[in-house]
Amino acid sequence: MGLTADEFTIQFIATLVKFAIVAGLLLQIPPVMVWVERRVPAMMQRRKGPNRVGIFKWRIYGLMQSLADTIKLIFKEEVVPEGAQKAFYHLAPVFSVFPAFLIAMAIPYGPDIHAFGTTIPLSIIRVDVGFLFIFAVSSLAVYGVTIAGWASNNKYSLLGSLRASAQMISYEIPLGMSLIPIVLIYGTLDLNKIVEAQSHFWKWGVFLSPVSFLLFLIAMFAETNRAPFDLAEAEGELVAGFHTEYTSAKFAAFFLGEYVSMFVLSCLASTVFFGGWQVPFFSVQKLDDLTGFIGVSALIGHVTLMLKATFFMWLYIWVRWTIPRFRYDQLMSLGWKYMIPLGLVNVVVTAVVIAAFRFS
Amino acid sequence: MSDFSLLMTHGVFHLFAALITLCSVLVVMSKHPVKSAVFLVVDLFLLAGLYATLDSHFVAAIQVLVYAGAIVVLFLFVIMLLNLQPEQLRGLKFSAVEAGTLVISLVGFLITVVATFKGDQTGLGDGSLDPVAIEAAGGNTYVVAMKLLTNYIWPFELASVLILMAIVAAVVIAKKDKKKTSAPIS
Repeated sequence: MGLTADEFTIQFIATLVKFAIVAGLLLQIPPVMVWVERRVPAMMQRRKGPNRVGIFKWRIYGLMQSLADTIKLIFKEEVVPEGAQKAFYHLAPVFSVFPAFLIAMAIPYGPDIHAFGTTIPLSIIRVDVGFLFIFAVSSLAVYGVTIAGWASNNKYSLLGSLRASAQMISYEIPLGMSLIPIVLIYGTLDLNKIVEAQSHFWKWGVFLSPVSFLLFLIAMFAETNRAPFDLAEAEGELVAGFHTEYTSAKFAAFFLGEYVSMFVLSCLASTVFFGGWQVPFFSVQKLDDLTGFIGVSALIGHVTLMLKATFFMWLYIWVRWTIPRFRYDQLMSLGWKYMIPLGLVNVVVTAVVIAAFRFS
Repeated sequence: MSDFSLLMTHGVFHLFAALITLCSVLVVMSKHPVKSAVFLVVDLFLLAGLYATLDSHFVAAIQVLVYAGAIVVLFLFVIMLLNLQPEQLRGLKFSAVEAGTLVISLVGFLITVVATFKGDQTGLGDGSLDPVAIEAAGGNTYVVAMKLLTNYIWPFELASVLILMAIVAAVVIAKKDKKKTSAPIS
C-alpha cells in the first residue's frame, strides 16, 4: 500500500501488461488443446487424426484445424430453445468462464522482477491468502453449470447439470482437504511463498506430502468434469449434459471455461506439488545477476511452470483415453467414502508429525 | 499512501456500496426466486470485494467460499428442484405469532451473547487492528485465527448454535406447511 506516485504508475502499467499476457495465453489454450485432444488419441490408437488443414502449403501437423473449427463454431446459427429462461440462458456461459479466468490471475507465473526501483510480482492478484482466494472463486464455477442446465428447459440438460454440480460440490471437499497438509507444512497461504519454500528439490510438495498429491490429482479430474469422471456429459445417457441446448459461440464459451479451468488446476498442481517456477537443483533467482539482464529469471521461471503445467494437461488427455468412465454411484462413494476419510487422516497425521518435530 | 491510490480506494468503496445496495434491493424485489438467488450471489461477491478493499483478504475469501460458493448453491438447488413459480410463492406466509416468537427468540439469544461478553476487551479501536499493525503481527490470517480461537472461542461456538436454531426453525415451518397441502408433483 505504501507506494509513491511513480511506483503506483509502474505497478499500474505492469498490471495491464501482465493482464494482457495472461488473458492472451488463456485464450490460446482451448484451440491448441482441442487439436491436442484429437492428435494424441489418434497417436495412441495408431490413426492419423486431423493433419491436413494448414496455411497454404505448410501443414504444420494440422494445427490450423482448430482455427477452422473456431470459425465454424462462431458463424453457426444460434438457436435459443423455446421456453428457455432467456436471461439466465445467455448468462450461464459467462458464469462458467468468469471464475476460471479469475483464478488464473492469482497463480504466480514466475519469480518477482526487481526493476524500475520497485518489485513487480508475476501474478496479477498478489494476496496473502492466495489459496483461499482460489478455492473461493473456484466454488463459484458451479453456478455456470447449474444455471445452464436449468435455464435450457430440457430434462437432459437439467439432469446433466445436477450430476455435474453435485460432483463438483462433493469433490471440492477432498480438493480443499488435500491442500491443508501443504498449508501446514509450509505454514503460509501465500502461493508465492509456497513456491519460494520449495527451492530445494526434495522439499517439493509431492515428496513431503505424497498422499495429498494423490488426492489432489483425483479431485482435479473430478472438479473439471473430465474423464474418467465426465458423467455430466455421458453421451449415451444424457445427450451432452448441461450444454445440450447450447450452440455457436455460447457452446464455445463452455469449451473455453472447461479448458481454462483445466489449465489453471494444472498450474496449481505444479505450483503446490512440483515447485512452481523453480528449476530442480538450480536457483532461478540468481540468473538475473549471472547474465546481467533483468527479467531472465522471470522468463526461465515462467517457461518452467508452463512445461510443468503442460505435463498435467497432457496427463488429462492420457487418462481420458486410458481409463473408462465411472458409474455415478462409484463416483460418489469414491468421493465421500474413500477420499474424504483419507484426506482427514492425512491432515491429522501431518499435523501430528509437524507438532512432534516442533516440540522435539 | 498517494492521493491517487487513496482516491481509487474511496472510488472502489463507493462503487461497491452502490452496487451492493442495488443488488440487495433486487434480491427482495425480484419476482422469480432464481433471480433473487443469483442477485444474492452477486451481492455476497461484491461484499467480499468490500472486505478486500479494507485489506481483510482472509474474511473476503471466506465470505465467497462459504456464502457465495456453498450456501447459495444449496438455495439454488432447492429452488430449481421444487421448480417454484412466482405464483406459488405468493401464498407463502406465516402468522404474526410465529414470526414474533422467532424474532424475539433470536434477538434474545443475541442479547444474551452480547451481555455475556460485554466486559471483554475487543481489541478494536486501540490501533492494534489497522492494516500495518496486522502485517507486522504476522498477517491477516494469523491475527484472525489468534483472535477467533482464543478471545472469541465462545461467541464463535455459540454462533454455530444460533445457526442450528435457525435451521431447526426453518424445518419446523416447512414441515407444518406440507401437512396442510399435499406437495405438488410436477
